[in-house]
Formats: sequence, structure tokens, C-alpha cells
Amino acid sequence: MDVVISLIFRAIFMSTPLILGAVGEIIAERTGMMVTAIEGIFLSGAWGGFIGVYLTGSYTVGFLTAMLCGLAVAMLYGLTTVYMDQHQIVMGTAITILMTGFCKFFFRAIFGTPTTPLKIEPLRVIKIPVLSDIPIVGPILFSQNIISYMTYVLVFAAGFIIFKTSLGLTLRSCGENPEAADVAGINVRRVRFWSVAVAGGLGGIAGAYYCICNAGMYSAEIISGRGWIAFGICFLGNWRPFSGLLFAVAFGISDALGIFAKTSQIGFLPTEFFNALPYILIIVLTICRKNLKMPANLGTNYVKEN
Amino acid sequence: MIQLKQEVRTLKKNRDVYDFIIWTVLAIAVGLVLSFSFLPMFGISSIDAMKIMITEIFSSSYSMGNILVKTAPLILTGLAFAFTYKAKLFNIGIQGQFYVGCITAAAISLKMQGHAPGLVVIILAALGSVAGGAFVGFMIGFFKAKFGANEFLVSMMSTYVFTYLNLFLMRTVLQESNHNYIKTDYLDKSVWLPQLIPGTAVSWGIVFSILVAVLVWFVLYKTSLGYRIRMTGLNKEAAGMAGIKPERQFMISFAISGAIAGFAGWIEVNGMQHMMLPDFDAEIGSFGVGIAILANSHPIGILFAALLFGFLQVGGTALGHASGAPPSVIELMQGFVMLFVLMSFFFRRKIEINRLKKLKSENEEVA
Amino acid sequence: MSVNSVPAVELRHITKRFAKVLANDDVSFTINKGEVVALLGENGAGKSTIMKILYGLYHATSGEILIEGKPTKIDSSKDAVNLGISMIQQHFSLVPPHTVTENIILGTCKGIIDYGTKEKEIQELADRYDFNVSATDYIRDLPVGAQQKVEILKALYLNAKILIMDEPTAVLTPQESVTLMKFVRDYAEKGNSVVFITHKMKEVMEVSDRIIVMRNGRVSGCLEKADTDERELARIMVGCDLEEVRSHHTSDQRPKKERLIVENLSVEYKNEVPLLSNINFAIHEGEIFGVAGVSGNGQQELCEAIYGYLKPTKGKVILDDEEITTLDVRSHIARGIGYLASDRHRYSMIGDMSLSENMLLKASYLDKWVHKGVIDRKKLDDYTKDAIKQYKIKAPDHAITIGSLSGGNQQKVVVAREVDMGENLIIIDQPTRGLDIGAINYVHKTILNEKQKGKSILLVSTELSEIFALSDRIAVIYKGKMMGIYKNGELTTDEIGLLMAGYEIDSAKTGGEDTEKE
Repeated sequence: MDVVISLIFRAIFMSTPLILGAVGEIIAERTGMMVTAIEGIFLSGAWGGFIGVYLTGSYTVGFLTAMLCGLAVAMLYGLTTVYMDQHQIVMGTAITILMTGFCKFFFRAIFGTPTTPLKIEPLRVIKIPVLSDIPIVGPILFSQNIISYMTYVLVFAAGFIIFKTSLGLTLRSCGENPEAADVAGINVRRVRFWSVAVAGGLGGIAGAYYCICNAGMYSAEIISGRGWIAFGICFLGNWRPFSGLLFAVAFGISDALGIFAKTSQIGFLPTEFFNALPYILIIVLTICRKNLKMPANLGTNYVKEN
Repeated sequence: MIQLKQEVRTLKKNRDVYDFIIWTVLAIAVGLVLSFSFLPMFGISSIDAMKIMITEIFSSSYSMGNILVKTAPLILTGLAFAFTYKAKLFNIGIQGQFYVGCITAAAISLKMQGHAPGLVVIILAALGSVAGGAFVGFMIGFFKAKFGANEFLVSMMSTYVFTYLNLFLMRTVLQESNHNYIKTDYLDKSVWLPQLIPGTAVSWGIVFSILVAVLVWFVLYKTSLGYRIRMTGLNKEAAGMAGIKPERQFMISFAISGAIAGFAGWIEVNGMQHMMLPDFDAEIGSFGVGIAILANSHPIGILFAALLFGFLQVGGTALGHASGAPPSVIELMQGFVMLFVLMSFFFRRKIEINRLKKLKSENEEVA
Repeated sequence: MSVNSVPAVELRHITKRFAKVLANDDVSFTINKGEVVALLGENGAGKSTIMKILYGLYHATSGEILIEGKPTKIDSSKDAVNLGISMIQQHFSLVPPHTVTENIILGTCKGIIDYGTKEKEIQELADRYDFNVSATDYIRDLPVGAQQKVEILKALYLNAKILIMDEPTAVLTPQESVTLMKFVRDYAEKGNSVVFITHKMKEVMEVSDRIIVMRNGRVSGCLEKADTDERELARIMVGCDLEEVRSHHTSDQRPKKERLIVENLSVEYKNEVPLLSNINFAIHEGEIFGVAGVSGNGQQELCEAIYGYLKPTKGKVILDDEEITTLDVRSHIARGIGYLASDRHRYSMIGDMSLSENMLLKASYLDKWVHKGVIDRKKLDDYTKDAIKQYKIKAPDHAITIGSLSGGNQQKVVVAREVDMGENLIIIDQPTRGLDIGAINYVHKTILNEKQKGKSILLVSTELSEIFALSDRIAVIYKGKMMGIYKNGELTTDEIGLLMAGYEIDSAKTGGEDTEKE
């Protein structure tokens, strides 16, 4: 029983950054912008977050620097795609390569080559009084860290904003039919740029989660494809934050199962299978899903002849 | 008058090519200078770093040869990306197809060495890696054509799947004989690609890569197959109106792209590494994208762009050995170069449009 | 209509230049309060551009706009909306996966949306105008007629005093058009202004007070409805090119073999206005069959259906006794059919490819220039050089990209190719749009020349002069239907103008096959 609980706890724990990244990606993609720099954004967040916490000892500062790093990368991406009309996929790849080098280079510039890996104390979990005492649910849901709690709130807030507010209507219209939004007097490019920036801020925090909350250290391989999983979740969740949350938890479970399979020596399926499971799922689901409600103008830059 | 106009047009065509080269060289220079300007953080002056890089590389034929060693697979992954990009498709999964090629080449070589003549094994390994890559590529194109699956997402994810599949294989059936490390055995010398230049690590791989580049150029620009692929990429509607089915071109171009990436795996395994390791050439796929972009997806331009990347890799490593500069300066340089080259496209276009508008209104006033 | 009051809108000397074309050239006119103004003109005459400038979507290169007599700068559509101007685009600006309510309130509200209240508000508005639209429906589920009502509701919701409608009846059934006309009249009665952009004379006469005719980016006429009639408008629409009519049709009347037979060809999709209904005709060998009509009445669909690009929902296409209805485009090409599409840039050329490569466009599967998959460059280049010489294409060589040539020369390249591809049948849609006189003459000569070779030619054009100059027989197409088939010379320009506007001609002057009745 305890094994199952710790497994699910771990699943939820590991799903938080995926949700964060996916929600940001959803917000941006709703306006028609594929944030293909998301892997680079995650990485910059992990890098900035670690540096912030290591140098100041404050988690707040850490997440703030992570957010700013993600924001900066996203704004570079937004500038070059929205305003300089470069292809979104090409630009995202370029920025991700740049960030890989950038983070390695400047990590070394700041810390040199330490003989032992630099460590920080991972962010503690907060047991919510009363609620955390509920059997099963308590230890799973109400003994997580502050970022996870905030992420749950964010999912519902994002859902509310997208579907119930004027801002959401604007976002969605820019992604479905930018000409219509333009005719209605909306500055499509500005909306797109800032939604990318928001995705960057959230992606930065998501990246930082891996080193501040999980590993307690930074390495160049800390993200290794998780940004892309968040990107995939956005597709699979049909561009809805709540569905995205469900998929993120599913991927959290496969992540947790991988660790479980390794430690418990069950071995009827190789651990690599569990590692690859999220990616396999994304491929299979991408091929199988027929009712995808992709924003009609996703990935196309809005250029007006004038 | 007409004569004059024609001359202006011919000039313009040539100028487009010059413009492209000048802007690209400029962007590369800006990227490199910016990267070097960070080196004083490690106590190395930028000028010294540049000097060290160049002297280190040209000090020995071995390090010069290394450039060619690095360049060979980069040419191929660049070509692989360019081939789908010509059809306006995105094969971001080159890394995965490369790994499939690697593991197939390694498996065939390891299992068959000693049982058949070396040359036969080498050729079979090459065919196997090409077929493996082509199959993976074809499947991605097939999913795109038949199910409308987003090829970007599918190809991106496939890389990770094959990375883990390789890990699994290297941990189990293909693990080295002592079962201590996650890697394969060394390939027997009989199945190595022969050396091209004695005293260096340069194998025939570089020759094959250049040949593939020429072949790709030939296919793209001299055959009806390549013509149809390029046409579909440039104007899908006109292609449809010319009786060409875009879906078919998707599958063909993806399969060829995968085959090229797989071939790169063979060159790396049989030609350079002589075994298969985890995280082997982990960024060769992204670099391929970068190289293709740098060269505007032209096969011959890719040769030069790959050479540049190869040069930066060897130069950066040499710089690291000779001074305190971290090897990550390589990726930093590559990243900045790509960023500025892409930005240069925007500025070049903007200047061109302004010039056109001016020309147009001048013409109208004359008329 | 108060004559003395300040006009609602006055446009003064508006010029708009895009990177490639001059869309408006010194356009000036006024729109009065309580008036329906029809903006009449062919496609590409600059009607939409001038209205998009008024609506703030484009910025004029020069000129000024006066609203209520005051010079006003309109930088964005937001400014226009605030001034009480609304515009319904030809291709609706609706977001298909959103509801009627969401589409209407887009850009007008702030903060949290109280959908319940908004839906009630909009439902009331719809009911008040007798619009049979539900506020909670999704746009993608609505037929186009209802979508247009949503667009109108959007304008009403914004309290528009000046309503611009771009080709509003293009997608409507006759009944829906009648309702729309009534709405427009009522709306203007209340002191609002309506600008009705159209190229259909019939509607103009029905709905407008004043008619402004545009041609080639300029205002070519401004008439009170009371002072004019359809015949005069038809003449202005077609322009003064009429004098140039030269009759080229053959005197040789011996019966010839029917090569292309089109039987009951229809393209009709559910819940949509039929694109083509029951088209019947035949083209003999060595005959030019002209199809006249105002653009957008099904001409492109007709060509594409015959060419195999658009699958007909009913009917047959037979070429030389072989049914080719369901064959794909590649098989059509192999059977010697050439198709010169009206939208050259979209369907007929690849701007970034060389002239030679554009020559190869439709022959990539044929063995004309391709041997065992390898392109015979020399043969292709020689062919292209020949074509450059023969068609007097102004290009330095065969290797230059087609995109860098002038429009007329691009068209010559495409004509050269299609004429050669079409060994049996050539489908020609708008061969001379936007060309200068010299190029037009050349293209005309080429078409007549091909006819002499015994080819069957389907010529679609909105230029009546062209139809008269080239065709042996003439059909008129209106809303996807044939209005009749006549021998060239049998009809006057006026009569054809009426047919093009959807009117029947009283006398049964049928020359070819039976006339379709509406």
C-alpha cells in the first residue's frame, strides 16, 4: 500500500513542472504561437533557478530568477518569430541549441569546475494541516511543495481565463482566425508576443522545479527532453489546461513507474521502456487522436501586407 | 532599353547570391565575436583565444584531420534535414534516425564480423543502417500523410524513443563482453572503414559524405523526383494542379531523409567510434538543423556550413585543452551563429522590400 | 434623404500603393446619411481596398478621410468602430469554433464575461431584427447565410452608423438576398449609411440610391440610380473596350466531331449554394467555346471539375469518347489536356523556380523531358529558349526565376506551356487579366492559332470583348448555371450583359444546346 501511495505521490510530484510548462504552452498556442523554444526555456529556468538559490539561499529569489531567465529566452523567441517573421520551428531549434551552450558556458563561468557537484537543499514539502491527515489522499495530494499547490491553482485559473474572460476570447481568436481578431481591432502581434512571454515565465519556473524541488543540483542534462513532453502534453490535452493536467499526471506515473521498476527489480519490462513511455504515448496519441481541436492558425506567423 | 533591363535582372540574380553570402558571413562573424567576447570571464583575452584556436588547429595534421572527421556526419545530418525542409516538412528526429543507423551498423558489424569478409560486412552494415533510417523516416512521413499527424511532434518524440531503445540494447543483447559498462564491444578492425589519410583519424567517411551531398544535389535538382519534392514545398497548390500528390512526396522525402541520417550512423560507428556508446554524438541532429539553416538548405552550401561547424568543434576543443576555456564555448558559438544568421534573413528581406518599393515608385514617375 | 446635411463620410484623393500594385489611384467620393451607395466594379478594381482604408485595415499612401466633415485619422479598425463604421468582409471575419455570442462580443468587452447576460442581449437583438440565429450556436455549424447575419448582428451590436458590406450576396441564395436587400433598405431609412460593394448590376438597381463605378483603381462613374439603367451600367462595367471587338469566328460551318462532352455536371455540397448545377455542353474539334459571366459565378469550379482537380458530385466529362470524370489530374495531363488557371500565382507557376523548371511543371511524370527519372536539362532548356523566342518573352535567359518577370511575360510562359500540354483540349480561364495590349494580342493570336490546329478550346473570361473576339459559340454562366448557349454574333452586348446579370432574354434565341431555365 505504502508503495502505491509513494508511487502516486511521486507521479504527482513529477507532473508539476510538466503541467506548468504545458499551461504556458497552451496559453501561447491558443494565440497561434508554437513555443518551440520550450526545451531551451526549461533549461534556462533550471540554470537560473539553481544559481539564484545557490547564491542567495532564498527559494523566492531562485524561482524569480528562473522566471526571468525563461521570460528572457521567450522574448528573444517572440521577437524573432512574431516581429521578425522567422519560422517558429527553425527558430525554436536555434534557440534551444544556443541555450544548451549558454547555460553550460556561464555555469562554468560562475562556478568553475567544482570537484564535487554543487548541492542545494531541495525545497521542502508543506503538509497542509488536517487535509494531509486524510488517509491515502492526504499524503498524495496535500503533502506536496508550494509550487505544486500553486500549479493546481494555476490550472484552474488558466482554464477560467481562457474560456470565461475577455482576455481568453482574445487569445483564442488570435489563434483561430487572426484576420478576424485584427478586424475586431485587436493587435494580434502584441497579443502573441506577450502570450509567448507568459509561456516563458512559466516554463522557467518549470525548469527550475527539476533542480530546486527534485534534484537539489544542476546538470546540463537535467531537462533532457522534458520541455518537449510539456509541448506534447499541450497537443494531447487538446489545448485545455485541465486535460493537460491529466496527461501530465499520466506521464508522472510513467516516470514514477520507471524509478519503481529500477528499485524494485521487477524487471519484466526494462526500465528503458518506462523512460521512453511518455514519448511513445505522445507518438501513439498524436497519430490516433482524431478530434484534435488545434488552433487553426497554429504555427503560422501573422503578416499583413501594408 | 529592354537590353538594359535584362542586364539589370541578370545582375540582380547574381547579387542575390552575393547578398546571401555576404550577409551570412557577416552574421557568422558577429556570432563568433560575441561568443569570444565572453572568454575574458575565464581569464583569456578574446584575441588570444582566436589565435590559440587557429594555431592549435593548424599545428598538426591530426587536428586538421579531426575537422574532417567531425564534418563528415554533420554533412549528412544537415542534408537529412534539408531534404525534408525542401518539401516544407520538419524532420526534427534526425538524431533518432541517426541512432537507428548507428545501432544497426554496430549490430550487423558485431554479429557478422569474422563470419564474412570485412568488406562484405561493411557494405551490409551500410545497407542496414540506411534501411533502418529510411524505415523510421518513412513511418513518420506515412503518419503525416495518412493520419495527418504533426510530423514535427512525432519526429521529435521518436528521437527519445530510439535513444532509450539503444540504451536497452546496449544494456542487454549488444552489451560488451564483460557486462560492466553500457556500451557495445569494439568492432573488429576488419570491419572498420579504411583510413583515408595516414596519421589522422580521417576515414573514407568524409568522401562518402561529400558523395552523398553531390548525390542529394543531383536528386534534388536534376531528377523529376527531386523536382516534385521541391515543387511541393514551394507551392503545394500548383503541385496538386500538376497532378502531383503532396502526401506521396511527404513519404518519399521523409524516407530519403531518414536514410541519409541512418547512413551518418554507419559512418560514425564503422568509421570513427568503432563501437556504440550512450549519449553518443547527442547533438548531431540539432547541429544538422543548424547547418541546413545556415546553408539555406542547399546541398553544396551544407558542405561549407558543416565544415564551419566541424572547425568550431575541433577549434573549441583545442582551445579548451590549451587554455581554461570550457568546451561549451563550441555550442555557444554555434548557437549565436545560428541566431544571427536567422536574424540576417529578416534584415536582408526588409532592405530588399524597401528597395523594391522605391524602385517601383520611381518607375511609375518615369512612366 | 437630407441633401443639405454634412456627408457622413468624405474620401479625398485617396491613393494606395502596395509593394507590387497600385490599388487605388486618387479616389474621391462621399457617402451621405440615410443613403445606400453601391460600389460597382470588376474584381481587382480597388473597391475593397478603398473600403478597407476607411475601416482602418489598410493605411492610405496619400489622401484624407473626413467623417462628419472633420478630417479624421483612422489607424486601426478600433478607431473605425469608435466612429460608428463597421465592415463585413467578403470572407467573413468569424471564428468558426466559437459561438455566435463570442464572435459578436470579440474586442468589445473587458474582464470576466457574463455569458448568460451577453447571450440574452444578443438573442434579443437578433429577434428584434427577425434574424433567425441562436446566440449559442457555433459558427462552424451555421450555413453561410446565417453566418452573414452574425456579421450584421456584430455591426448592429456596435451601433454602426455606416455599414460597409463587401460582396454580401455572393454566397446567398436568391431568397436570402431578398431578405438582405430589405434589411439594407430598412436600415438606411433609419438614417444610417450603407456601402454595398458588388459586381452585380441587378442588385445595384434593386437596393442603391447612388452608384459609384470603379475601374482599375479609379472612380470611373458616379450615377444616381434614377438617372441610369442596367444597360448603361453594363456598358460602364464592361468598359469602352467594346469598340475593339473583332469577329474571328469561323465561316467554315461544316459539322465537326464533338471532342469534349460535359453532361449534367454538378458540384453541390450539403448546406451550401451549389457551385455548379447541371452544366451541359460539347466542344467540337477546332472550336473555341466561350464562357462569359461575371467572375465568381462558378467558372473556376467548371474548369477544375473538367480538369479533375475538383471532384464533381454528379455528371460526366467525356473526352474523345472516353469518360474522364473520375480520373486524377495526372491522368488528365497524360490525355493531353492543358489548363491555364486564372490565378496564375497560385496554380500555374512557382515563382522561385526558373523558366525551364516552370515549363516542366506539368510534365514531371511524362517522358517529354524526363528520361528514367533524370531531367534532360539540355532539351528542356532548348525548348524553353525556343518558347522565349517564339512567344517574345522578355527574359534574359531560361534560368531566371519566373517570379522576377513582369506579369505579362509570366503569363506568356504559362500560356506557352499549357498550349503545348493541351494537345487535345485547352481550358483557358482569364488568359489576359492584367496584361498590356501587346501581350493580350499575342495571347489571342496564340489561342486562335491553336484552334486552327484542330484543338478544342474552352475559353472562360469576364472580358466580353475577349469572348466576342475569339469564340465560335458563347455560353453565359450565372451562379453555377448556364444561362444559354449562343452562336457568336447572335447576341448584342446589352443582351449578354443582361444574361450575365441573371436576367432571362425573352426571345428564345437558342443557338446551340437547350437553354437552362432558372
